[in-house]
Amino acid sequence: MAINPASPTPSMFRKKPSSAMSTAASYLSAVSKADARARGLNGGSTTSTPALSLSSSVTSSSEDTVLHEDIGDSADGLYYPSVPPTSEQVFTTVHTEFGHCANESYRYTSRHTPGEPVKGVVEQDPPYYILITTYVSYLLVICIGHLRDFIGKRFKPSAFRHLMTQDGYAALNSDFDSFYTRRLKSRIDDCFSHPVTGVPGRTILLLDRYSTDHNVTFQPTGTRTRGLNISSYNYLGFAQGDGPCADAVEESVARYGVSACSTRREVGTLDLHLQAEALVARFMGMESALISSMGFATNSTIIPALVSKGCLVISDEFNHASIRYGVRLSGANVRMFKHNNMQALESLLREVISQGQPKTHRPWKKILIIVEGLYSMEGTLVNLPALLELKKKYKFYLFVDEAHSVGAMGPHGRGVADYFDVNPRSIDILMGTFTKSFGAAGGYIAGNKALIERLRISSHYSAYTEAMAPPVLTQVMASMASIMGVTIIPETKNSSSLSLLHSSNAIPVPVTNLEATAYPGTAPSTALPNWVSLPPSLCDGSDGRMR
Amino acid sequence: MSATTSSLEPLFTILSYSYATLETNFYKLPGSSVVARYVKSSHQNDPGRTLLEVFLIIFAIRTLLQSRTRADNSGKHFISFDEKEIDELVDEWTPEPLAAELSPKEQAELASIPVIVGPTGPKPKLSNGKTVLNLASYNFTGLAGNEDIKQSGVETLRKYGLGSCGPPGFYGNQDVHIQLEKDIADFLGTESAILYSQAFSTISSVIPAFCKRGDLIVADRGVNFSIQKGLQISRCTVRWYDHNDLNSLEQVLEAIEKERQKKRSPLTRRFIVTEGIFDHDGAMSDLPKLIELKLKFKYRLILDESISFGSVGRTGRGLTELYNVPADQVDMLVGSVANGLASAGGFCAGTNIVVNHQRINGTSFVFSAAMPALLTVAASEGISILRNTPSILSTLQENIRAVRVILDRVDCISIPSHPASATIHLHVKLPSPMHLSPRVPPPSPSLSSSSSGKPSNPLSPTPREAPQFDAELEEKLLQDVVEEALAQGVLITRAKRLRGQELNDIRPSIRLAISAALNKKDCEKAANVVKAAFVKIVGRQRR
Repeated sequence: MAINPASPTPSMFRKKPSSAMSTAASYLSAVSKADARARGLNGGSTTSTPALSLSSSVTSSSEDTVLHEDIGDSADGLYYPSVPPTSEQVFTTVHTEFGHCANESYRYTSRHTPGEPVKGVVEQDPPYYILITTYVSYLLVICIGHLRDFIGKRFKPSAFRHLMTQDGYAALNSDFDSFYTRRLKSRIDDCFSHPVTGVPGRTILLLDRYSTDHNVTFQPTGTRTRGLNISSYNYLGFAQGDGPCADAVEESVARYGVSACSTRREVGTLDLHLQAEALVARFMGMESALISSMGFATNSTIIPALVSKGCLVISDEFNHASIRYGVRLSGANVRMFKHNNMQALESLLREVISQGQPKTHRPWKKILIIVEGLYSMEGTLVNLPALLELKKKYKFYLFVDEAHSVGAMGPHGRGVADYFDVNPRSIDILMGTFTKSFGAAGGYIAGNKALIERLRISSHYSAYTEAMAPPVLTQVMASMASIMGVTIIPETKNSSSLSLLHSSNAIPVPVTNLEATAYPGTAPSTALPNWVSLPPSLCDGSDGRMR
Repeated sequence: MSATTSSLEPLFTILSYSYATLETNFYKLPGSSVVARYVKSSHQNDPGRTLLEVFLIIFAIRTLLQSRTRADNSGKHFISFDEKEIDELVDEWTPEPLAAELSPKEQAELASIPVIVGPTGPKPKLSNGKTVLNLASYNFTGLAGNEDIKQSGVETLRKYGLGSCGPPGFYGNQDVHIQLEKDIADFLGTESAILYSQAFSTISSVIPAFCKRGDLIVADRGVNFSIQKGLQISRCTVRWYDHNDLNSLEQVLEAIEKERQKKRSPLTRRFIVTEGIFDHDGAMSDLPKLIELKLKFKYRLILDESISFGSVGRTGRGLTELYNVPADQVDMLVGSVANGLASAGGFCAGTNIVVNHQRINGTSFVFSAAMPALLTVAASEGISILRNTPSILSTLQENIRAVRVILDRVDCISIPSHPASATIHLHVKLPSPMHLSPRVPPPSPSLSSSSSGKPSNPLSPTPREAPQFDAELEEKLLQDVVEEALAQGVLITRAKRLRGQELNDIRPSIRLAISAALNKKDCEKAANVVKAAFVKIVGRQRR
């Protein structure tokens, strides 16, 4: 699909009626050519139909990947596409890592229809017989667990030593505290922490294991199983060992090594950090942004710098653990509202503003509402338009955690603000992670310049946490540019990164006058390091759009 | 009279009839006799008892039905307003700005942060085009920019992609993570280890994973910020002992033991939390003594080796190697992969029980994505390099000595750091405390009245005799020194801290981080530049 010229309106996921295939003849010749090459490379291991042997293994770069060590049953579509792919892009990706949507009618634009009321949370209470049987099963398992504890402690005390007081040491974890983990969760432990290998892409390679002692320990069998991967947070398929992003990361490892070796406020600030932060700000349509090296720590180290004693945090009851952790560190008061319930929120707001701080009744210094864009555990979407209406009236500050929605929602992949077509700058703080849609790690905070500078000075993140590693920064920039598309701007002076740094001393904002305020716009090539190679599919945004 | 009775007669019959049917039907229900027996036995001809039971049931139902997120309008401090008043109050309320404007000093601080163009390493290039000697980055063993590490990093990238795309519990647990955990455990000699994806978030998750409300922690007064946050989150009882003073620790432990015996309070989990080499000043703990005390008083030891792992010991195994103490004597050994192995993340090593407990209870392990495979492999590679080349650590120690020899003798510098510590903190030494400007308030008013010589209060994190210094002035002087050294081609940095957020006011310092990647000559040259800068700036101040 890369051969297709860029569509006038750059939008990912959009339904496009025009076929990506240029002619039927070119497709057929491509298929036969690939088939011949595949035969030549794979020797006798070709499959029955020519179409099935059109595997990704023809690309030279992927031959030595771990993915081709064991070629399994080709009929399940895990190793070879079961339908002949219709684009030449398939030759640049590995089928096991990235599945192409060959059928244009499957594409869907994620966008909120203006005016349509946002769907509330659907109560999904199970029928009573399920509830009752579940509780009975729980009861049964709990009873058996206690029975086993009772008998075990008397007949096999060695296995329970760590749960009991011994030699004057209190138990590290009491048997009561760890009961759930030991007796309930351990029964299904084979589902968790499964070791995997290779790219967590379209498919994932599991390292098989078995347990002889009821899931206390696991032994590897040495075999592997490939499964279709619907568990990794790889929304756009940027988890790849091939392609323009991986090429850029390879280049950055060669140039920068793997670490920045310090904190951002000391000497861990590289030119890459500044460039990546500027690109993130541009992607989000915000004035400024900062990047933290761990998604969890983005919330837990930055929320304490936003609010303090005398402030109030109003938090959705289903917010992520990192938000709760950060709020607890901040020392601010916390109130919760019913998940996504805007009426409950409004009545709570009226109460807290009128009552003020507990006991003293002084007015709150600030009220910060923290919500998630797309709730990680429920999959529900925040009612952003209603929230912004409330914001106008009640003057609170809004913090949206877009860990799951950024990149994956909205016609341009810019998250919930894009999805609801609201101005991102009407939200005070946009937070998100790079782990999910961008196939990297870490997180960002985007907001206005004053806010970001304040956070750089007084948050834990800048003074104590390690700066983000250069390869991760490069993955972020390359995948982001791939979604945005890149406008080639002829280089004016010497090295772009240097000239940027010379132009303004503190935090350079490398946007050209050409489209300084365009949102959602493309990334100017000067915003990327000049050593990143820019294949055409990345520049015209089709690489990101086709994901 | 009889007329009314007769007219009510049918009503009574209906009532008695319906009661009888109700009763028979009730006894037809399975298990109803049990209920009846229960009600009878609890009633015992005392309506008060039944009433109490009914109240209890109603209360239970009410509690169950109440929402967790309800408005709290029942307290005695609640003032009820009508809607109009609330509207007025809402209109009236003006919040403070979300972010306070930066002061000129803070702006200057932000502008003074150096930007490295290209890779960091012993001789990085700065944004002003200058190539400088780096005495600031945590690159003790010189692994940053190592070609072998780069190559294995690229190989890993091609096999695994970059991100792990999931928390360890849900298919983010790649074989490379398991391998690194095993490598660390083997390297240190513990049963097992667990990998966190950020060094700062490691110990602040480890502490609350084990210490709950009611547990007891005895901590050093000079612990780093991450530990402070871990203590805050854990909500357990904290007792403090004087910074790096094990006699003070012993006194505190004895006092606690006495108190416990007097009160006969039940045995709770007890921990000693301290650092190997302190992040705040580079002082080193006396590990054998610490182990002795912990065994004597039956405490568990949580040791943060974020600075010492990868910088002391024959092959960089940290304090346990330096003092020849088996690592399994330390119950939870926390270290930084980011500092020690020039990669990213942190780890906690210990027994299988300790490690497996964290896999479900370590907040930032459970709720965060696993580290990128590339960085994990880089760390594994780093460990094998350290194992095979002990000369790295001896070079590092030589470099440290070379720098210390020059800086120890400068009379305007005081160095609290241990001679073997790869981080060297430089304090400004001003001629006399009279120099302090009078506006400096005493650190704590309660302390001024106390007589000296008595031990500090273990309940308070502030020591009895807090060191007196003028933080603003010293910070400014040190920043001038940093800039002067930078002008002479040596990159050093002030130890950046959040003043006001730390438990104690920490004396401002310049933190040098010595690297094995520099040769001895470079180190001497850099140290001389630092010395000259100190003499110039602080000397000017003295006059």
